[in-house]
Amino acid sequence: MMQAKLRDLLITNILAIVLGLVASGLMLLFLGKNPVNAYSVLITSVVRDGYTFADIFVKATPLMFTALAFAFTYKANLYNIGAQGQFYIGAVIAAAGSLLLQNILPGWLVLIITLLLTIVGGGLWGAFIGFVKARYNSNEFLVSMMSTYVALAIMNYLLRTFLIEGKAEYPQTDALAASVWLPRIIPGTRLHIGFVLAVLACVGVWVLLYKTPLGYRIRAVGYNAGAAEMSGINAKKLYMLAFFISGALAGVAGFTEVNGVQHMLVQGFNPDLGAAGIGIAILANGNPIGIIFAAILFGALKVGGTIMGQMSGIPSSIIELMQGFVMVFVILSYFVRTWLENNREKRKLQKAVAK
Amino acid sequence: MIYLLSATIMMGTPLLFGALAEVIAERTGMMVTAIEGIFLMGAWAGFVGGYLSGSLIVGFLAAMLAGLLVASLYGWICIYLKQHQVVTGVAINLLVVGLCSFLYRVIFGVPITPLTVNPLATIPIPLLSEIPLLGPILFNQNILTYIIYVLAPLSYFMLYKTSIGLTIRSAGENPEAVDVAGINVLRVRFLTVLLAGVMGGVAGAFYSIGFLGMFTTNIIGGRGWIAFAICFLGNWNPKGAVIGTLAFGFAEAIAIYMQSTGNSALFPNELFIALPYIMTIVLTISRKSFSVPAKLGVPYVKEN
Repeated sequence: MMQAKLRDLLITNILAIVLGLVASGLMLLFLGKNPVNAYSVLITSVVRDGYTFADIFVKATPLMFTALAFAFTYKANLYNIGAQGQFYIGAVIAAAGSLLLQNILPGWLVLIITLLLTIVGGGLWGAFIGFVKARYNSNEFLVSMMSTYVALAIMNYLLRTFLIEGKAEYPQTDALAASVWLPRIIPGTRLHIGFVLAVLACVGVWVLLYKTPLGYRIRAVGYNAGAAEMSGINAKKLYMLAFFISGALAGVAGFTEVNGVQHMLVQGFNPDLGAAGIGIAILANGNPIGIIFAAILFGALKVGGTIMGQMSGIPSSIIELMQGFVMVFVILSYFVRTWLENNREKRKLQKAVAK
Repeated sequence: MIYLLSATIMMGTPLLFGALAEVIAERTGMMVTAIEGIFLMGAWAGFVGGYLSGSLIVGFLAAMLAGLLVASLYGWICIYLKQHQVVTGVAINLLVVGLCSFLYRVIFGVPITPLTVNPLATIPIPLLSEIPLLGPILFNQNILTYIIYVLAPLSYFMLYKTSIGLTIRSAGENPEAVDVAGINVLRVRFLTVLLAGVMGGVAGAFYSIGFLGMFTTNIIGGRGWIAFAICFLGNWNPKGAVIGTLAFGFAEAIAIYMQSTGNSALFPNELFIALPYIMTIVLTISRKSFSVPAKLGVPYVKEN
């Protein structure tokens, strides 16, 4: 039974990804490009050298965090679609904290403090959504969406004033000192220790959700909030906690991007992390371990799409196109799975009746 | 001040198109979370149609068609395939961003200077626009503004005084009853979503060819979500939507005014840009009683 379900999940998801890529490939025909050529360029160039290949995992790192952020509250039947804003808050704190402390404290200590600060900052930014949900019964979907635009405005303001680079030319910070860069795990590539952190976070969230009493309570509230309240679970407190953890996860993406990749804060960078994170979470069916693989796939699309853009005059918007098509087909695959499942049940019933 | 109020009415126009569309659809139980994508597709199609044909009318027709297409994809997945409205909306919005910037490139390549069209002209209404104060504010607007302020009371009348309105409202409150009455619930929902697509397409085109005269992929920048929010804050009622729209239009007019006059010494620009979004959050918190349609966001499954 379980096996049939898992088989359906794998087959329909793979099919969805293939169809999404085929659909985007067909769009290339409009540009007069041969999609088969474009994709073979994509595949060969992604595995062309270690640097490019490792970049897939670099791109996957923040995506794992934002996908976890969505999946975590989703388990409590709450919608946090503000991961983008929580990520920006985390990024601002990471840049400000690192710049402030890098000349005072040793690098490793700055990294730890900055990480903790982004967890708290992103977490509180997220917890606010949970708070107004719990206290005023506000629509968390709406508030989380709006909070992203507020976070963006805060980031732009700080980049124009307090955090602006020494030359005060562009809205970006000075570069971080090399001592507060996240250590690289493979020399000669951009792959940094943040990737390990992201994988650990996925495993940690899985353990938290499925192996601890807190995770059980969160899932119980998601399954049936009324019944959970009856059994003595304080749903309101859980709303805040779930949003704190969710926001903290998205905030850490800001830390790994600023300290691990950019080494500075640039205005409006990574604008689609939040939306892609939601796509990854639904591709993985909300499973934290599945998120690791789904994020790597999206990372590969990003790296491949960028290379396609550089090599053959294909616009980099092909990345969003691929992501969008894959997401739509993944949602369709949910329908197909339910349909398959129902058919199986029906056959079982018919068999039982025939006996 | 007159400038600000007149800008309020103008900037409120697309928001009201979107909010009314959302009110009608949500009354049947369908949140149109693809609204941001519908706006963007409308802005894109409006610009492309308007630029290539040289006629803004063609542009707006193209925008309606584009909005309709996005809405039909959304409606098909959410209504007939019964998939999740929030998740589907996010996916479609992302897809539309990709489609718009990709197809813009396909059609126009990489233009050296940004392509522009002449946006909608204002049409002063004879006599009425001569009234001091009120004239320039209310009666010196473009055609869409006049249309939407006729559509707003019409949609109120339609929702509350006609049998179509009753069917629409019942589909969101008690779909079983609608079904028993022999009316196809899914079709009612689908048609309202399509209507929302058409209106949302016009709203999007307002930004590209009604006002700015150009297209960029961040032209909508969350305005679809604001329309979505206005529907909530207006308590799923066209009257509330008008009030909400004026408030948001005012916030946006201030933001544009502040940006055009440069930095104010007291408050940073970004505060004014964020104002509509902050307002949404504050209003969501402060509103106590909402009459949410009972089946909002719940797919309708017929019992066998």
